[in-house]
Amino acid sequence: MLRAERDLSRQQLADALGINYQTIGYLERGDYNPSLELAFRIAEYFGLPLEAVFSRQPFAPMSSQLYRKEESA
Amino acid sequence: MIDDFDKLSVTDLKLRGMPSDQILAEQKRRGMSPGAIHDAWYPKPPTYDRIGSRRWRRLLVVGTYGGWLLLAVIMKLASTPDSSFPVIPFVPLANVVVALVWFGRRTYLGREVLAGDFGLDERLIQNRNQAFRRAFQLFASFALIAWLLSLVAMWLQPVNQGLTNAVLLYMGAALLGTTLPTVIWAWREPDPLTTNEESA
Repeated sequence: MLRAERDLSRQQLADALGINYQTIGYLERGDYNPSLELAFRIAEYFGLPLEAVFSRQPFAPMSSQLYRKEESA
Repeated sequence: MIDDFDKLSVTDLKLRGMPSDQILAEQKRRGMSPGAIHDAWYPKPPTYDRIGSRRWRRLLVVGTYGGWLLLAVIMKLASTPDSSFPVIPFVPLANVVVALVWFGRRTYLGREVLAGDFGLDERLIQNRNQAFRRAFQLFASFALIAWLLSLVAMWLQPVNQGLTNAVLLYMGAALLGTTLPTVIWAWREPDPLTTNEESA
């Protein structure tokens, strides 16, 4: 999602992070858990806090998060 | 103009803000051949990327190891107490075939896997280390059992039949020792990205 928002291909993100592009795919599919070092690098690359990029629980769909925000506002 | 144009990939150049048409124009200005330009824009993936689906890899594991085992059993049954033929020529040949399959370009045991960490990211290093650790555990267990069995075989049958059994066990250990890390890696690695996913 973050990558798509910034219009980056897997190869571009992988090159920027210095990792194999397949690893980006496995991270996105949840097939691989990154080291803390890589997790921080990814979060820094996107300029977001770690918990905004990674979570132990699956993220809720963005539409439902937005809808809840609008309701509570 | 970017100074180290020759050293950077097309992706790097784009990330540095150079437009695609300008990259192409610069490549032509520097006299790059159409083939070199194509390779620069569409670089061939490294060996460990051309891995095929997990299903295909697992079929290959079952095919090569199962085939070797089947041949070894047939050769063992075909051998006679006074001759090691046909075990001696055929089983080592089968070892060579299996090793060639697993040392091939489409499987994992490329030079980069054994040579060091160059070109491998943390996931690939982790997978490589896990595969080697698991391979050592399996190989050590098999080698210990095979070692004892081969001694017993030669002690009980100090003729060709004992030698045949010992050769079979040695060949099995040699096969595992040379190919097992690759096989374990191939067995465990998830499916690579599909063509659609790759272009995303």
